[in-house]
Amino acid sequence: MIALVIAQLNERRRSPLSWGLPLGLWSAFVVGIYPSIESALSKAVRNYPHALKEAFGIGELSTVREYLHAEMLSLIVPLAVGYLAVRAVSSALSGAAESGRLDVLLSAPVSRRAIVAAGFIATAIELLIVLLLALLLAMLGSALAGAGLPFSSALAGFLNVWPLALLFAALGIVATGVTLRTSIVTGAVAGVLVGMYVLDLVGRLDTSLDGIRYASVFRYYGKAVEEGIDPLSFIGVTATAVALAAVGAVLFERRDLSV
Amino acid sequence: MFLTPRASRSGSIAHVPAIETERLTKFYGSHRGIEELTLSVQEGEVFGFLGPNGAGKTTTIRTLLDLLHPSSGSARIFGLDSRRDSVAIRARLGNLPGDFGFGKHATGREALAVLARLRGIERTDRAQELARRLRADLTRPLGQLSRGNRQKVGLILALFHRPELLVFDEPTSGLDPLMQEEFLALVREERERGCTIFLSSHELDEVQRVCDRVGIIRDGRLIAVERVEDLVGRTQRHVSVEFAAPVELDELRACPGVSSVQAEGVTVKFRVAGDIDPVVKAISRHTVVDLEFARPTLEEVFLTYYEEEPR
Repeated sequence: MIALVIAQLNERRRSPLSWGLPLGLWSAFVVGIYPSIESALSKAVRNYPHALKEAFGIGELSTVREYLHAEMLSLIVPLAVGYLAVRAVSSALSGAAESGRLDVLLSAPVSRRAIVAAGFIATAIELLIVLLLALLLAMLGSALAGAGLPFSSALAGFLNVWPLALLFAALGIVATGVTLRTSIVTGAVAGVLVGMYVLDLVGRLDTSLDGIRYASVFRYYGKAVEEGIDPLSFIGVTATAVALAAVGAVLFERRDLSV
Repeated sequence: MFLTPRASRSGSIAHVPAIETERLTKFYGSHRGIEELTLSVQEGEVFGFLGPNGAGKTTTIRTLLDLLHPSSGSARIFGLDSRRDSVAIRARLGNLPGDFGFGKHATGREALAVLARLRGIERTDRAQELARRLRADLTRPLGQLSRGNRQKVGLILALFHRPELLVFDEPTSGLDPLMQEEFLALVREERERGCTIFLSSHELDEVQRVCDRVGIIRDGRLIAVERVEDLVGRTQRHVSVEFAAPVELDELRACPGVSSVQAEGVTVKFRVAGDIDPVVKAISRHTVVDLEFARPTLEEVFLTYYEEEPR
């Protein structure tokens, strides 16, 4: 299992740089410019429509934490890292089937479940590395600009993306149990990712539709950078992701491996 | 030899076949893959698996390897169930898929390291030796290698752990003639070691040179299993003889197995099946200027069986 995880991480060794670096630099820029726009921003936000602020999780933007959440952690980071999760897991399974890598791995004494588990664990590690790199760069931006972003808040904000992204990795595994075409797996789960975001958005905009938010994992995402991680949501979403991955592993084991 | 003993009901020890299928069937939805394929390959045997594209060769191999699940029937390898015991089976086999791949970025060395770790092998001396013999480059990313050079890496990964069973699906596709010879030499060495080899191929010549028996598959059904010498004996060879002077054709026509005799001046063309000796003796009674002997193509071999087998 460890050998499979290492192999998978090695195959995707460029990913932390190609995903973590841009997200981190963008976050660092957002945090870095905050001190210079703080007062103008607060005045401008006071005039924003309430519904718009509610929809995009924009508060008064009177702190760097609020600004980081509004600019990065409410939309861009979860969608980007969620998409990365689907890409990573489909690369480990359907991509491996398409490239012939899976046939070679399955000529060794390993089970399909082990390959799925290794793909999921490697994806979890990869996501964590990407998020930590983005966090470190955001902290660097804060330190250079004197923005005063508290480390514990930033850590909570970035770390809170992890279970959410993991859930989409798990959905990717379920999808590979149905088809081994990477483009279909990635496209379908990316569609679910965006769909869930929109569902949550609609529920927040129209309080009469609040119930539909329960169908979206974004309902449990919150504002960890401001309010800290909600342990129940964090553990609940992670446990759901693990359960979905297990279902995906069973489907993957039962299916024929032909693209 | 890696003989796998199995206790019989009487208590005596019997040796189980390396590969044994019983009415193995695979359908992809309504499309036929293989149908009721019953086959037995003995340990230490080199078994050739011949058939045209789409006949079901790769489906058979992928079902044996548990990459595809049979619709019905069963397959056993070393007496172990191909589905239930697939992990234990894979510990004892080496496999080269038809088009070997391991991702674009990984090098042969990295792929080897992964497989060695998964097999619990620390020393890869055998792999280095194979790489030298096959002149394989293990340092370049596989995505930068030609198909033939990728196949060499695949061969190394299939052979480096000295498996008891080797499964090759079109192993020489993309290899240059020198490397094809090296491959056949490796197959002979593995057979000497006692390894069982299941080799799917389009190359009749390749199969003739290394296989003990050959199975012929058509439309998903196994239509014949023959010893290689019997297979060649049944197939017709093309002969063209240029004599110094016109000859009496009845003499050739009278030879057993000779058909389609045609004369063009002093050149006589005909087909011959089975024992060639009477033909050689008949020809040798005349002055021969030139003689050409063409081996049958794979298609002609198939035709021999197709014509016999009612569709």
